[in-house]
Amino acid sequence: MPKFESQEGYLVLESGEIFCGQLFGDFERAGEVVFNTSHSGYEEMGTDPSYFGQILVATAPMQGNYGVDREVWESGGIKISGFVSLEIQNTERESGWLTRLLENQVPVVTGFDTRRLVLHLREKGTTWGAIVKAENSKMASSQGRQMIREGKSLPQDWMVQVSAPGRTSFTGNIPKGPRVALIDFGCKSNIRRIIERSSSEVALFNCKTSAVEIQAWEPDGIILSSGPGDPTQVSNDVLGELRTLLGWRPIFGICMGHQVLCRVAGGRTFKLKFGHRGGNHPVKDQRTGEIYVTSQNHGYAVEPDSLPKEIVVTHTNLNDQTVEGVEWSARKCWGIQFHPESHPGPRDAEKLLVEFLERLR
Amino acid sequence: MPRIENLKKVMIFGSGPIVIGQACEFDYSGTQACKALMKEGLEVILVNSNPATIMTDPEIATRVYVEPLKVPFVSRILEQERPDAIIPTLGGQTALNLALDLDRSGILNELGISFLGADPATIRSAEDREAFCHILDSVGARYPKSQMVRTFEQGLEVAEILSYPLILRPNYTLGGGGGGIAYSLEEYKTKLVTALQESPTSEVLVEQSVAGWKEFELEVMRDRRGTFVVICSIENVDPCGVHTGDSITVAPQQTLTDCQYQEMRDEAKKIINAVGLTCGGANIQFVVDPVTGERLVIEMNPRVSRSSALASKATGFPIAKIAALLAVGYGLDEIQNDITGTTPSCYEPALDYVVTKIPRFNFEKFPEVNKLGVPNDLLSTQMKSIGEVMAIGRTFKESFMKALNSMEQKDLSYEGRSSLEERLSYPNSRRIHWIFEALQEGWTIERLNLLTQIDVWFLEQFADLVQIEENLTQLDRNSLLRAKRAGISDARIARKTSLSEEEVWKRRRELDLHPAFLKVDTCAGEFASETPYFYSTYWGDPKDYLRRSTSSERDRVVVLGSGPNRIGQGIEFDYGCVRGVKALQRRNWVVAMINSNPETVSTDYDTANELYFEPLTLECCREVFHHIGPKGFVAQLGGQTAINLAGGLVDSGYSMLGSSLETIDLAEDRARFAKICREFDFKIPPSGFAGDLTEALKVAQQIGYPLLCRPSYVLGGRRMEIIENQDELEGYFQRSSDEVSSDRPALMDFFLEGALEVDVDLVRGKDWVVVGGVVEHIEAAGVHSGDSMGVLPPQRLKDETCVKIEELSSQLADRMNIIGHLNLQLAIKDDQIFVLEANPRSSRSVPFVVKSTLIPLVDLAVDAMLGLDRIKVQPERYQWKEMTSVCVKGVVFPFNKFPGADIVLGPEMKSTGESMGRGKDYAEALLKALLSSQMTLPLKGEVFFSLRDKDKDALVEVAKELVTMGYALSATPGTAQFFGDHSLPCIIVRKVHQGRPNCVDRIRSGKVDFVINTTSGRLAQEASFSIRRSCIDYRVPCITESDAVLAFLVALKKHRSGEFEVSPLPARLMNH
Repeated sequence: MPKFESQEGYLVLESGEIFCGQLFGDFERAGEVVFNTSHSGYEEMGTDPSYFGQILVATAPMQGNYGVDREVWESGGIKISGFVSLEIQNTERESGWLTRLLENQVPVVTGFDTRRLVLHLREKGTTWGAIVKAENSKMASSQGRQMIREGKSLPQDWMVQVSAPGRTSFTGNIPKGPRVALIDFGCKSNIRRIIERSSSEVALFNCKTSAVEIQAWEPDGIILSSGPGDPTQVSNDVLGELRTLLGWRPIFGICMGHQVLCRVAGGRTFKLKFGHRGGNHPVKDQRTGEIYVTSQNHGYAVEPDSLPKEIVVTHTNLNDQTVEGVEWSARKCWGIQFHPESHPGPRDAEKLLVEFLERLR
Repeated sequence: MPRIENLKKVMIFGSGPIVIGQACEFDYSGTQACKALMKEGLEVILVNSNPATIMTDPEIATRVYVEPLKVPFVSRILEQERPDAIIPTLGGQTALNLALDLDRSGILNELGISFLGADPATIRSAEDREAFCHILDSVGARYPKSQMVRTFEQGLEVAEILSYPLILRPNYTLGGGGGGIAYSLEEYKTKLVTALQESPTSEVLVEQSVAGWKEFELEVMRDRRGTFVVICSIENVDPCGVHTGDSITVAPQQTLTDCQYQEMRDEAKKIINAVGLTCGGANIQFVVDPVTGERLVIEMNPRVSRSSALASKATGFPIAKIAALLAVGYGLDEIQNDITGTTPSCYEPALDYVVTKIPRFNFEKFPEVNKLGVPNDLLSTQMKSIGEVMAIGRTFKESFMKALNSMEQKDLSYEGRSSLEERLSYPNSRRIHWIFEALQEGWTIERLNLLTQIDVWFLEQFADLVQIEENLTQLDRNSLLRAKRAGISDARIARKTSLSEEEVWKRRRELDLHPAFLKVDTCAGEFASETPYFYSTYWGDPKDYLRRSTSSERDRVVVLGSGPNRIGQGIEFDYGCVRGVKALQRRNWVVAMINSNPETVSTDYDTANELYFEPLTLECCREVFHHIGPKGFVAQLGGQTAINLAGGLVDSGYSMLGSSLETIDLAEDRARFAKICREFDFKIPPSGFAGDLTEALKVAQQIGYPLLCRPSYVLGGRRMEIIENQDELEGYFQRSSDEVSSDRPALMDFFLEGALEVDVDLVRGKDWVVVGGVVEHIEAAGVHSGDSMGVLPPQRLKDETCVKIEELSSQLADRMNIIGHLNLQLAIKDDQIFVLEANPRSSRSVPFVVKSTLIPLVDLAVDAMLGLDRIKVQPERYQWKEMTSVCVKGVVFPFNKFPGADIVLGPEMKSTGESMGRGKDYAEALLKALLSSQMTLPLKGEVFFSLRDKDKDALVEVAKELVTMGYALSATPGTAQFFGDHSLPCIIVRKVHQGRPNCVDRIRSGKVDFVINTTSGRLAQEASFSIRRSCIDYRVPCITESDAVLAFLVALKKHRSGEFEVSPLPARLMNH
């Protein structure tokens, strides 16, 4: 197991809080600081484009225990800007987690009381932060604030930045199955893998693709993918294109895709205080009474009152009663806020995606 | 989904006496369930034969029946109570088996009583291996290749198909009783015989061993609607091959990838649904091939279990409570998460810490098991541990070392001849210490992994720990912080740095290095939690986690718990602690509990006002005290563990409630104590000390034989032996050389042979005394008080002696200035009263006395400690002699788990649990106590006798009566001759060394229905060992003490009459 040297380093929050720990890597990065309560799944989280630009705090203290393997990654590379946990091991599978993070210039801070950080984020809400090297906390503070200012001044349409260009096609496992257009707002690979299992072909479209182009490909159904950031950063142009697709073919939105779908329908979203990130959120299907334990990763949610009357809230988060799913039956549109593709997290809700795909046949 | 309609009255079963594999976790689960259902407004009827439980306190349920968990008795209760339903899933395997028996008997059908939680079909499909494998096939789950064996011959055929090593798993036994691993045909044959015997259905699953695979367990819950959640994943540090109860385990699982874990979760869900568990908790065990990742299912239990108790304490999710509410119809989403108070229970707890459980063994009590040539503490698929500790830390290292510190065991050095390699090569109770030793000697992780098959990840953690310890040369802030963050105790640091523990503690204080107390909140900080369930960690700054104190805050008092269960200190002390907490709260105190035992009621987050799940070491208790600044603390409820902490805590400036250190010292210092006793009319057996044999021979000359010898400073009568002559004395000193020396001399008492022993439990306040009762032992002096049966009120003690005992005991309590509990062990011989022992604390017998006399002794002890006077307490209200029933305490032993152990009782305690029989007379109480302690009472058949000479005259009357009752007698030649002389017909059977077939063959062949075998002296005992052992192995009742024989006869007659009554305890303890 390759060992790496660490040095004293800091996590500086925009609110002024400073945490001093052990810094691995000779890099400094800023980003939104979010925490995830899953016990396992660091490699899936770290490569999930939805975490693009964020500093990910794992509440589970022991990370890196079982190494990493590209086979389970959720995109081509590591997407987070920083990783924070109480301890990190560099156990090797195909490679080690720490090794991979450092190869990808992702700084890692460990060795400090991460629970205090989590309690702070819970109480004060999600905030920006920066991982910095510095001689002392005072210098760290000014340096960190500077980095945060710079980071925040950059465009925040991250879903556009991570969206793959043009169109990429993948062959599905069912030759007679439906053709599925997957609109990429920062799609996790496992969404695509699941679609592949029930379709003849999947095409991943850049999120700015015009409706005409999508229609020209003649999909049987459209899936709007998950992705990073604030759904209000999705431009009116993009929303407009999608609006023309409403009712043309069935649409299924996942996470960011669900929020975009609601915006297309005229709904509004709001920022949650500290988001939902973990693998243990109970969601109730209001139609059947069924409860799933879900994989979640979102910082925004849909305002139920903003939705047009014909859109029904089908799923509710039982922890805070926020909207977790909608149905617009007249237009054959469905959206769910959580992740049926899991990775990481429980797979209870995978059937929602599979059922949608089966309806396309 | 609301509660089931028309449900008004439910019955819950406890799990009976504590045995290996079924300990106080079922007190925890039953108590939680009763409380939850009572709160629902249901009538709750509880049946349990174990008096040492909290759940059998009358206030816990609507009506509590302390009756045998057997069909005839429970049927009678069902007829009286007519509940709407029974919930069989909360009292362990005992309750499940009872429920199946009741179902078979037809009574439930007849009375229209339904099952809640799990129905008989579900129980059978999970318990019956063949049916279970069928279910696994149906959901595509894989399991080790195996075959069900019903006869010895069939077993041999199966062994030819499967390859060794083979695992034997008897059906319907708890803790894998009677099972094991066989590496060769010879070993297989021996184990198959036992396994077939152990299974009540004579069915044994023989399966291919997956020893060395990684083992995991999922604790899951499901409601009627099908909502499924995993409460906790648990990973075994020891690879497969060691019973999970004997394995060091960690939660949550550490080494599986998310994909592997989710696949396991999905499979668990499918299995639970396929088994048909409508609602409740269950656990499923998996093994994973460390190389290929292949996953197999090992077993599932459709009930609350030992691991669900652990999972509840590890996560803060109260599984038993929720299981009870699910059983009566609620959905998981309708039950609030108590800890957060805002979110529902249909979620999976997220942990931001690591939990380690380490089992606690008592192999030293059964040294005989060496005889079979098997290593003394070999671990296998049959559970052998008596108790366990749990510790919480922010990292694995911190949690693991805290757990190790909680064990209350000295560092275990090894003095045998076997090499380190050999000791590491098989699973044993001290292997973790050998791993540390190997790492210190520079072994590589690869080499250790090859030998132990423990996952590399864990070995790396251990290597880190060894490294941290070795780098600890000086105590600067950084190195010290590093060590403390790795959970290394001050005591260990002191050893590494050649300082005293006190010096390390001082150094830490200078550096202001204290732990922070973090909350167990079920959600890794995601939601606010007000529940004060804490653990200490050096990964936090205490300043960030200051106690929120409000002006309205009342004074705090700490109750010290009793730590891991062990023989001699078990659930009885948790009873005292919990009852004490409640009594203190009633007197308006805010109570903080410290304990390290996850099985207990005292470590429930809603027992005390604050729970500190911490090792019961001076260091950790001091840190808790430093953090909360209590007004005082209570040590006398937590057994010897808590008493041992008292001195250090008082020295640190904290005040102890109740009897002072001076009083404790008075009881412990033999010389001072003897002097006081002499002031009264109490006798003390003549005694002396000897550091070696020469001194011992001199002492023996002065005192005379027989002698009772024991090393100083031991608990539970460890190495205590009765010495009849000089030869034996020489032998004793040879065997005890490791524990006896001139500075640790052996204590030698004159042994009061044939004396009647009694336990007295009393409580003294500043100007009052309440005697709780005088428990008369059924066996004569020489049997440890924890191992002898007892009866209340006394049956043989003369009234005037009893009055005198009460008077003298009260006077002694006054003289010792006891405040609170005092337990006295007395012996009565020739009308003289001897004091054997005084314990200035709650005792093992307190719960039995409370349940028998209904005097709230613990509550009174709390009143005493709080200084209430006689006007307030009105002690004259409590008259134990006014009790209307007779109560007998029965005893349960773990001999069947220790092959090679002898069952002769002596001064060293060996029992794990107790039962209680309540009756209108002695015979009824005795019968119930015996039946509850797993004794069978054969109604007819052959009785085999083998008696020592001095018992022959006394027992010839018994033999006569047995003949009159229609039993046949058989005996070895000497005893047979004696019976012949008394004109008793008797079959003569050869002694073991007189050729074959001999008496052991006769027992093994099933011809003998019960055995009476008395013996004394080491040699005679060794000669008759195989008789008794065959009784254990073949489940033939065997009585080894003459007074116990008389009692057995009384019970037998009662049993043959078929008459008995059942009655609930009164609705509450005496008005208090």
